[in-house]
Amino acid sequence: MNVAIAETATDAPRWETLFDRTGSVRAIAVMRIAVGLATVVHLRPFLLGEAYEEHFWEPFVSWFPHPPAAAWFAMLWVGAGAAVLMTIGLWTRTATVLTLLVVAANLLISQTHFGHNRAFLVIVLGGLALLGAGRALSVDAWLRRRRRLPPVPDEARLWPLFLLRAQVSLVYLASGISKLVDPDWFGGLVLWDRVVRYRHVLDPTPLPGWAIDVLTSRWLYYAVGPAAAATELFIGVGLWFGRTRLAAIWVAIVFHVAIDISARVEVFSYVAIAALTIWVTPSARDRVVLVGTTRSGQLVSAMVMVGDWFGRFRLQRTGTPTPVAVVDRDGSRLDGPAAVRFALSRLPAAFAFTAPLLLLAGRRRRAP
Amino acid sequence: MATVRTRLPRWRRRMAQGFVVSVLAVQVGFAVNGYRDPHKFFAFQPFNESSTWRADIIRVTWDGDRVPIAEPWNGYEWNDLVGMAALRGPSRLRHAYMGVGATVDFLDDALDWVATNTPADGETRYLEATVTTYENTRGPTITVLRSVERPRP
Repeated sequence: MNVAIAETATDAPRWETLFDRTGSVRAIAVMRIAVGLATVVHLRPFLLGEAYEEHFWEPFVSWFPHPPAAAWFAMLWVGAGAAVLMTIGLWTRTATVLTLLVVAANLLISQTHFGHNRAFLVIVLGGLALLGAGRALSVDAWLRRRRRLPPVPDEARLWPLFLLRAQVSLVYLASGISKLVDPDWFGGLVLWDRVVRYRHVLDPTPLPGWAIDVLTSRWLYYAVGPAAAATELFIGVGLWFGRTRLAAIWVAIVFHVAIDISARVEVFSYVAIAALTIWVTPSARDRVVLVGTTRSGQLVSAMVMVGDWFGRFRLQRTGTPTPVAVVDRDGSRLDGPAAVRFALSRLPAAFAFTAPLLLLAGRRRRAP
Repeated sequence: MATVRTRLPRWRRRMAQGFVVSVLAVQVGFAVNGYRDPHKFFAFQPFNESSTWRADIIRVTWDGDRVPIAEPWNGYEWNDLVGMAALRGPSRLRHAYMGVGATVDFLDDALDWVATNTPADGETRYLEATVTTYENTRGPTITVLRSVERPRP
C-alpha cells in the first residue's frame, strides 16, 4: 500500500519510519560517477603491477580463496570494466555490485592490500550498490527515454543512504576519537615529529626561514594536535544537524584537500569529498530560482543550468529586470545578493568558495 | 518536496533493520578492536604514529655465515620479494606509517614468506632481522626476528 505522507525530507528519520522513506537519488548519481572514476584509478596500479602472489602476501583468513595470477588479473579487469559501466550508468546496479565485489575481494585477498582509504572505498561502493544510483544521469535512464519507455523516477528507498551516512560518520568519529584518547596525538607529538622529519621538504620551498621555524616548533603542535582531533569529531557530528551541516561539509572539503597534499592516501580524498553528497537532502527540484533579464540574472541562470548537478533548482524566468530571487522548499524567499549567494552555495562546483560567504552572512542555517 | 513513504512488508523491514544493525555493530566492533590490533584493520585510525624503524636483515647459512641481504643472493632482491612499500629499504631509518606494531608484525611474516619462497637459494638456513624502532620519538627499542627454518638442501 502506498501512503503519501506530507513529511519534509529534512525531518530527522525515526527508526520505525526510516525503512519506509523514499527520496531522490539524483545527488547520489553524481557520487556514483565520481566514485566510478576513482575506482578505475584505484585499480590501475594493481592492473599494471605484479600479481599479489609474486611477492609477500598474507591472507586475512586461511579459507579465503586465493586465485592464480591469471584469474586474479581477469577479475581486476572485470572490476575496472564494471567501474567504467558504473560511471556511465549502463546496467548500473549490476555494474556497481560487480565493482564492489572486485574491490572488496582485492582488499581482502591479502593483509598487505589493506588501507583505511581502500576500506572506505568499499563502504562507499556498498552504499551505492544498495541505493541503485542508476536512475539519474545514466545511460540506463537515457536508453529508457530513447525507447520511449516510461521514465523510472529518480527516487529510491532511503535506508541505505542513512546507513551510509552512519558509516561515513563513524569513520570520522573513529579517527577523531583515536586521536583524542592518544596522548601523543592530542599533545601534538605525532604531528610535530612528522613535520620535523619532513623539514627537508619545507626547506627548498619559498617559505621564509622564520615560517619554517614556526612550523617545526614544538609549541605550535600543542594547539594543532587537539585542533586536528576536534576537526574530525566536528565533521563526524556536525554532518548530522542542519545547523552545522554546511560548515561541516566545508571543513571536510578543506580537511581532505589538506590530507591529499600532505599524505599519500591514493584516491581517498576524491572518494571522501564525493561521498559528502550523501548529506545532500534527498529531494530534487524543490527550490525555485527566479531570474530576470538583468546581467546578474542571466549569469545566475547560466550557472544554475551548468552547475546544478544535484538537481536542486527549478529555473523560472520572470522576463522583467527583477533581481534574482530564490524560493526555498519551505516557501521562504531570498532576494538580491542573498539569493545569489544561496543559489551558488548549492552548486557543487561553487560550494567551496561560496559557502563561507553564506556562513559568514549567517542568513541561512538550514540543511543544504 | 514531500517524501513518499511506501510501507515495506514486515519481513523485509526486519531484514533491512537487522542488516543495518549488523553492519554498524561490525563497524563499531572493528573500531574498538583497533585499540588492541596493531594493524588496526578496518578501525579507521590512520596516521596514528610518527614512529620510525630500520632493520638489519641477514641470511644465516647452513655453514653459520651471516650474510646481509644486500649482498648477492641468487638473483633475489629484498625489495622485489616483499613488494609492499612499508617493508622496502629496511636498512635506512623510515617512517613506520602503519605504526610500529603493524610494521614489525608484517616484517616477521615477510621473513617467513621470503624464507619459503626463494627456491633458488640453497645455502640459507633462516633469515634474521634486528629491528630498531622509535615509537613517537621514544626509543630505541631493539627486536630480533627470525624466519622459519628452511629445509636442508
